[in-house]
Amino acid sequence: MSEIAFPVKDLARRKFQTGLTIVGLTICTATTIFLILFGENIGFEIALVTGGKLTTGFSNIFSRFVFMVSFLNILVGALVTSFLVYLSMSERVRDVGIMKATGCLSSIAFGYFLTELSIIVFLSCVAGTILGVLTHFASISALSALGFSVSQRPLNLWMIVIIFFVFVVASHILGIQPVIKAIRVKPAEALSPLYSYGTTSGEPGKPASSRLSLTLRVAYRALMRRKSATRRAIICLAAVLTLTTVTIAGGIIASQTTQKYVERAVGRDIIIVGHPDLTGQYASLLSQFFETKEIEPINYLDEKYQISEHLISELSNISGVLKVDPRLVLEANVSEVQGVIIDPEEQTPYVLVGDHRFGEALVLGVQPERVVNEWLIFGRVLNETDVYSAVIGDSLALEMFADPQKQAIMVFEKNFEIAGVCLDPLNNGKVVYVPLNALSTLVDGQSNCNILFLKIDPSKRSQVVADIEERVSGTMLEPLELNGILEKHLNFLGYIWSFIMFLPLFSLATATLCLLGYMMLSVTGQQREFGIMRALGAKPKTIIKIVFTEALIVTLISGAIGVFIGLFFTFVLLIPEPVISQSTLTSVAGLLLLVLILLCLFSLYPAVRAVKKSVASVLSQP
Amino acid sequence: MKKIREKVVSASSLCKEYQIGGLIIPALRDINLEVVEGEFVSIYGPSGAGKTTLLNLIGGLDQPTSGGIVVFGHDLSAYDEDFLATFRSTYVGFVFQSYNLVSTLTSLENVSFPMELAGWSEERVRERSEKLLRLVGLSHRANHFPAQLSGGEQQRVAFARALANDPPLILVDEPTGNLDVETGLEIVSILEKLKMKGKTILVATHDERIMKFANRMLHLRDGRIVAKDE
Repeated sequence: MSEIAFPVKDLARRKFQTGLTIVGLTICTATTIFLILFGENIGFEIALVTGGKLTTGFSNIFSRFVFMVSFLNILVGALVTSFLVYLSMSERVRDVGIMKATGCLSSIAFGYFLTELSIIVFLSCVAGTILGVLTHFASISALSALGFSVSQRPLNLWMIVIIFFVFVVASHILGIQPVIKAIRVKPAEALSPLYSYGTTSGEPGKPASSRLSLTLRVAYRALMRRKSATRRAIICLAAVLTLTTVTIAGGIIASQTTQKYVERAVGRDIIIVGHPDLTGQYASLLSQFFETKEIEPINYLDEKYQISEHLISELSNISGVLKVDPRLVLEANVSEVQGVIIDPEEQTPYVLVGDHRFGEALVLGVQPERVVNEWLIFGRVLNETDVYSAVIGDSLALEMFADPQKQAIMVFEKNFEIAGVCLDPLNNGKVVYVPLNALSTLVDGQSNCNILFLKIDPSKRSQVVADIEERVSGTMLEPLELNGILEKHLNFLGYIWSFIMFLPLFSLATATLCLLGYMMLSVTGQQREFGIMRALGAKPKTIIKIVFTEALIVTLISGAIGVFIGLFFTFVLLIPEPVISQSTLTSVAGLLLLVLILLCLFSLYPAVRAVKKSVASVLSQP
Repeated sequence: MKKIREKVVSASSLCKEYQIGGLIIPALRDINLEVVEGEFVSIYGPSGAGKTTLLNLIGGLDQPTSGGIVVFGHDLSAYDEDFLATFRSTYVGFVFQSYNLVSTLTSLENVSFPMELAGWSEERVRERSEKLLRLVGLSHRANHFPAQLSGGEQQRVAFARALANDPPLILVDEPTGNLDVETGLEIVSILEKLKMKGKTILVATHDERIMKFANRMLHLRDGRIVAKDE
C-alpha cells in the first residue's frame, strides 16, 4: 500500500477520532486568525503599531488581550492535537506491534503515522484559516450594519501565513511525541494483552478509602488506573480552561474597564455650550473614537466663538447645574521636548530622553479646579498652582514621547512640563490639557473661553436644559448634550467585546472535545466492567453516575488549575487597573461554573451510548 | 407428603436471533423449559449451541426475539432495564466463564458490590462479604485485586459474589472451563454445597464431575434442546 493510501484510509476508518482532532485544531486556528484580523481591522493590531480608531491606551488593553488569547490558543491547539493523537495511539499501539511483527520497519511505520498527523494538521489549519477569515468578515460586516463605520482593510496575508505555520509547527512538535513513544514499543510488548500505552495498566490503582461511596470509589480507581491518560487530560483541559477563563474573565473585566475609562473621560450628564460650529467640531473630534470623519479646520480664536464671563456666571446660577468648566479649545502644532533622567546604568550621571518629534494636537485650556472629567491618569492631574504644566492624551504620549512624564511639550513656543498622561477618546487621544490662563496668554492674551462644560443633575435634566436654552437665547450659542455621544462610545466598545466574547464558546467546544475524547477512551476501556456491574444489578443511572463522577473529578482538578492560572493572567498581566464590580464577579463566576457544568454534561454522551448496549452483548465481547 | 415445589423458570417457544450486518443468526430456537425450586440443571452441548444465550435470557441479561420467559413469576420480556437490574440483584447470582470480576475493586469489594447496590448497611455488607470469602477459602486474599489472583481464586471470588444477596437462583457458565483439574475440584465442591443449601442452579458445563450432581441434563444443539435426561 502506498505511503499516502494507508494513512488516508486509516483516518477515514477512524472517523470519530479523526473528526475530534480536526475540529479541535480547526477551532483554535480559526479563533486566533479571527482575533488578530478583527483586532487589526478595528485598530488594536498585535504589532502594537499605533493607528486605527481607538486611542493607543485603549488599543494596548485590546492588544494585550489579543496577544494573550492568541498565545493560549496556539498552546491549546498543540496540546489538544497531542492529547487526541495520544488517545488515538493508545488504541493503535497493537497495530504498530502487528506492523512491526510482520516485518515493517519502524521508520516506515513512523512515516505512516507522521503522514496521518500531517494530514490532520494541514486540513485543520486550512479549515481554521478559512473559518477565521470568514468570521472576521462577518463580524466587520455586522459592526458596519450596526451603524459603525468600520472600513474593511486589506487582509494581512503575512500575518495569516505566520499564524498558519505557527499552528502547523507547534501541532507537529507536540503531536509527534505520542507517535514516537508508540513506535518505540517492542512488537512482543505491543501484542501482549497485558501491555498498556499508559491508558490502562496492570496495576489496579491505589486503594481508595473504603468509606468513599461506591460510585466515587469506582470512579477514582478507574482514573488512577489510567494515570497517564488522566494526567494528560488534566493538563490539556487545564490549558483549555485557562484560555476559557482569560476570555471570559479577561473579556468581561476588560470590557467593563474600558467602558468605565471612556465614561470617566467623556463624562456623564455633561452639556457643552458653545457656538454650533465649535460644539459640532468638538462632537466630531470626540466621535473619532468610533467613526472616521473629515474634520474641517476652523479658526477657534474667532471672536464669535468667545463666551462672556457674564454668561458663564448666569449659567452657573441655574439650579441643577452642579459644575461649570470653561475651556479654550484650539488646534496647534506641538512638539516633543527632550527630558533629562539619571542614567540607570550609571556610566554618565544624566542622559537625555526623547527627540524633537512634532505633530498636530487639540489643545485645551482648562481651569484645573473646575474640570468635570475624571480621566484615568498615569501621573497626576493638573492643580491650581500649575502654570506651565500639561496633561497629554495617551496617543500623543505613545506616538511622540519616549518617557512623557520626564519630558515637556512645546505649545506655542512655550514648554509645558508633562504632569500626567490621560486615557482620552477625544481626537483619538491626541490632546493636550494646559492651564487656561497660560494658554490664553500664549495665544493672544484676550481669548478666554470658547466652550463651556456643564455638569448637571440628571434628575432635573429637562428643567436645566430649558433654563440653559433660555439663557443662551439671543446669543449665537447652543447647548449640546454629550450623553448621546457617550452612549455611542459605550455601544461601540460593547459591540467589539461582544464579538470577542463569543470566543469562550470556541474554548468550551475545544474543552468538550478534550473531555469527550478522554471519556470515550475511559468508557470504552471500562465497557466490560460496566457490563459486569449491570449484570450484578447496577442500573444504567449507576453507570452514568460513575462516568459523571470521573468527568467531574477531571473537570474540577483541571478547572481549579485552569481558572487559577487564567485569573492570574487576567489580573496580573492583562488589565493593570481593572474595574471590577460585584455584578462582574457574579457574571464571571456564573459563566465559569456554567462552562464546568456543561463540560461534565457533555462528557456523559459516551456513558449514555454505552448503557444502551445490552449487557449480554457487552459481556460477549472479548 | 411430598412438598410442592414452585416453578422458578418457565420458557415457552423461546427464540433468540442475532443480527450481524445483514445476516440473521439464530442462537435459540423454540425452547420450552421449566425449572422448579431447588433443582440442579446441567446444560451441555457443543460450542455455539446456545448455552450462554439461554443463561443470559433466564438471568435477564438479554431479551428474547420471540416467545416468553417467566422467572419467579416475572415475564422478563415485558420489563425495562431498570426493573431487570433490580430483578438480577434480587433473584439471580451469576458466575461467568471468564470470572468477570471488576478489576478496579478488591476481592472483598467485588463480593460487597451487589450488596452495596442493594443498599445494605456498611456493617452488614462487610460482615457478609468476609463470611462469603471465608466460605470459598479466600479470607487471606480479601484486599487483593483480581489481577493479583489466580484463575481458580478469581472463580471462587465470583462464586462468593454470586451468593452475596443470597439469591434463590444461581446461573453458572462453564465454571471449570478455564481451570486446572485441582482447582476445578474446588469449584465442584462449592457447587455441591450450594445444591445442599437448596439453591436452584443452572450450570452450562461439559465437566462430568459437575454433571453427576444434576437432577436433570439438557442437551442443546444448534439452539434447540435435543435431549432432556433425568
